[in-house]
Amino acid sequence: MKLRGTVQFRDVEMGVWVLSGDDGHTYQLAGGPPTLRRAGQRVEVEGDVDAGAVTVAMVGPVLRVRGFRAVG
Amino acid sequence: MGLRNPEDVSMRIGRWLGGVLLLAAACAPAPARTKHTRPGTAAAAAVPHALVIDFLDGISADRVAERARLWGLQLRFNSAEGSRSGIAIADGVDDVDAALARVKGDPEVEAAEPLVQFEALAFTPNDPEFDKQWNMKMIHMPEAWDVSRGKGVVVAVIDTGIAFEDRDEFVRVPDLKGTRFVDGYDFVNDTTHPNDDNGHGTHVAGTIAQATNNGVGVAGVAFEAKLMPIKVLDASGIGTSADIADAIRWAADHGAKVLNLSLGGPGYSAVMEKAVAYARSKGAVVVCAAGNSGSGNVSYPAAYAGAVGVGAVGPDGALAPYSSWGDELDIVAPGGNKRLGPGNGILQATVERGDFRKPVLAEYEGTSMATPHVAGVAALLFAAGARTPDEVERALFAGAVSDGKWTPRAGHGRLDAAGALEALGARSQAIDWHPLALSGVLLALLLLSLNSKLRPGYLNVLLNPATLLPLLLTTVGWWFIQLLWRRFAGSPPAAVEVLSLPLPDWERILFGRGRLANPLVYSALLPAVAAVIAIKWRAIRPVVAGLALGTAGFLLYAAWAKAPGLAYLPFTFLARPWLIFNGLLCALLGRMMLRREVPR
Repeated sequence: MKLRGTVQFRDVEMGVWVLSGDDGHTYQLAGGPPTLRRAGQRVEVEGDVDAGAVTVAMVGPVLRVRGFRAVG
Repeated sequence: MGLRNPEDVSMRIGRWLGGVLLLAAACAPAPARTKHTRPGTAAAAAVPHALVIDFLDGISADRVAERARLWGLQLRFNSAEGSRSGIAIADGVDDVDAALARVKGDPEVEAAEPLVQFEALAFTPNDPEFDKQWNMKMIHMPEAWDVSRGKGVVVAVIDTGIAFEDRDEFVRVPDLKGTRFVDGYDFVNDTTHPNDDNGHGTHVAGTIAQATNNGVGVAGVAFEAKLMPIKVLDASGIGTSADIADAIRWAADHGAKVLNLSLGGPGYSAVMEKAVAYARSKGAVVVCAAGNSGSGNVSYPAAYAGAVGVGAVGPDGALAPYSSWGDELDIVAPGGNKRLGPGNGILQATVERGDFRKPVLAEYEGTSMATPHVAGVAALLFAAGARTPDEVERALFAGAVSDGKWTPRAGHGRLDAAGALEALGARSQAIDWHPLALSGVLLALLLLSLNSKLRPGYLNVLLNPATLLPLLLTTVGWWFIQLLWRRFAGSPPAAVEVLSLPLPDWERILFGRGRLANPLVYSALLPAVAAVIAIKWRAIRPVVAGLALGTAGFLLYAAWAKAPGLAYLPFTFLARPWLIFNGLLCALLGRMMLRREVPR
């Protein structure tokens, strides 16, 4: 699936990178290249939501990233 | 042919035995009181802008109001005693000295002085960074540590592992030297070395049982508890519901009484929910983080029915902006709020984020940090005598700071360790009638198992003081002595308080409530010795019958109600079989003692 949104860093727990999705949900980013993790970057991420994942961050569903592209 | 008047003799013996017990109790050292413990010494500090004025006794409210106008002070009576004691308080005084000078000249004033606040001296650990742990003060840990430190209770930390051993490239963080550990498991790598390659689990473990009063680093809530490290989350802090469900069951099966799960996800899992219910059925409290979504959705496992869901508050006591809340929230605890600036997170020892070989003190925030405060207090409650998850949860919620009602943003209120222990004390003062009822049922069953010729009447047995008194003593204690004492002689001495407790619990009171039960005391030993004596000395058989029946009821109820941990038993799983075996042995002894002698 493809999701659009803004990449953000949240300093909760150990610190966590999230995709603040245009769909109104917050996704915890898992995997993907280091270039994805730039605060404020607008992106379209291709990946899968891992519904069974349990995390220390607990900010929202885990999005396993396969790839992404920056969008305007 | 034996004794002519067995009733007479046995009654005399009953009185004699009662007298000996009373004497023994009176000679016993004063029990180490653990409930509501406030040390005798107190620290005093002047309350700013306030003074206390002692008027002549019986002064009228009008006269006081008149004086207040004259002196320009806001005066109020200190208590409902009001004019009778004549003690009034003035608040908001700008210049205390000047006001005192004015007040002291008045003929109707007996004395006046600055208001002084007395604070009980509480245990303050020597850990150098303890001053920065606002969280420990918020939940009144120093006062709670006077009562319980979680001794011996096993707390499983189901997380990223714990930096608990120097092995390969892993380290034991210095402020966990002295903390006790039991064997755990690594479900991520399937090894018996659940080391921490992330730093989260070590931080959480530190809040529960950081080595405390060791002159190093910071303090932990239940520092005499034992930690069980269980790794279910990988180096990135992510794991599967299957591993977590496995871990929950494993921990409960290996003697953990408290399970800390500072983790969560939005997905419901029936497998994990069943695991939580299983742990609870094994007598463990399952404490889980509510989540950090800042929304009204509590994450799983916190949202499952059997779990205690924990939200986070900052140092200001307000719900932290990141904390999840909602219908399944049970309680809130300090989790930090770094938006309020540095020093407002939770400080514990852990390993560096990104370099797990390097020990650091780190300040984090999150519901993960709030959860171990609750888990730690749960351990204190178990060590202080709570027997079941229900009892622990009731005390946690009753002791919490709240407006008295549940709300979705605070649950039952804000965690208070001292309050929870006090709530437990108040509860355990209530008499638990279950063991007595169970003994009554056992008695009926035993009588039915006897041939009708050998069977005494049910009430004949129960109403015989020689049987009834030891029966009461071993199941519920001689509570009536305390009642009568209070009624006619005021506050009862320690010996009377001890007598008011079931006999098998005397040891725990005399030597400290925090201890585990001694399996020799929680056994058929005393009734068996008495029964051996009764082989020859038949007159004491009714007394031994009461003793054996009561002990049977007490032990079997303890087994049924998920008994306290028994000390000195090598394996925790032996505790219940031990209680059941001894309970049944006592019942058998009771049956032997009840058998009527039939003249041949």
